[in-house]
Amino acid sequence: MNRITWPLVELTSKLLERNEREAVLGDLLETSESAWKGFLDVFGLVFRRKADLWKDPRPWFTGFIVTLPGSYLLMSASLSVSCTYQRLVNHKVFGAKWPTGDEGYLLLLCHIFLLIAWSWSGGYIVGSVSRRTLWASAALSVFPSSYLCCMVPSEFSSRACLFLFLLPAVFGVRLGFRNARISLRLASLLALTITVLMISAWSSRALWILNWVLVLPAWYLVAAAWRSAQNGQPGLWPIRRIRTS
Amino acid sequence: MLGEFEYILITVSAGLGENAYGVAIREEIEAATERKCAMGALYTTIDRLERKGLLKTWMGEATPQRGGRSKRMVRVTVQGIRAAEEFYNTVARISRGASWVESPIGRIS
Repeated sequence: MNRITWPLVELTSKLLERNEREAVLGDLLETSESAWKGFLDVFGLVFRRKADLWKDPRPWFTGFIVTLPGSYLLMSASLSVSCTYQRLVNHKVFGAKWPTGDEGYLLLLCHIFLLIAWSWSGGYIVGSVSRRTLWASAALSVFPSSYLCCMVPSEFSSRACLFLFLLPAVFGVRLGFRNARISLRLASLLALTITVLMISAWSSRALWILNWVLVLPAWYLVAAAWRSAQNGQPGLWPIRRIRTS
Repeated sequence: MLGEFEYILITVSAGLGENAYGVAIREEIEAATERKCAMGALYTTIDRLERKGLLKTWMGEATPQRGGRSKRMVRVTVQGIRAAEEFYNTVARISRGASWVESPIGRIS
């Protein structure tokens, strides 16, 4: 192993689990293979390990069923909230492309709450269901932004308004990743509140029909919390971090 | 039933006994099959066999020639021996009467 390639091998091996990394690097040193061959060996193993993760349906579910459509809808909702805010506070109207209706401050608050709750619950699912392919979900969430960036009204000085959902979503992902369990009471309260607020917004014609998809993660949380309670693992109020194996 | 490579790995590991670990298994496989054995194939198969309960692995001693890094030791379990035996018997049974068994190419020529 030469001085240039060995750090590359070590860097690649960091993608392996600790014990496996130890064994693999030891094997390479023992056999004194050529540096390039050693790198290819480690890279091949890492590739197989990462590819193995995709044999499970969960990464596909979180990536293509939750993250991709979810991030598109959440970006649209972020933009809609920004437009409503601009209309109410700065008296700017953005025309037919982003009609903000006759929503008042109450509906704006309702939308803001919904945006936070949708983002948080969606993020929680992505973080908890498929931890080891989080990088793929994160990459997929970027795709809709390239399309939606073109739809931001030119009056907006920044495209940041598309990413209002990001902070609660990251918070949700972080909590889900740590395997924090939500109590059935909190999950039910959250899902019910979201549903009631959505019905109220819908009756005021202030909701896009596809936004109803965003209520599903909250009800998924209820089902997961209920299942945990059935298995004798009731979550504490509001949440409890449990040990991961 | 086992796959071909799984059978080879179990047989080689059983033959190496207490000395079965990554490098030794790989060298034995390469010598027996006269083909290169990729590290990725070796370790993913070991993992798969361990998940099936056919192998048991643990981290062994660290040696200076390995830069102070531990070996991943392998032991074939009783289920592993049974699975290998079943594979061998099946191949032997199915091969009875096959032309290359009755008159191998080497003997014909």
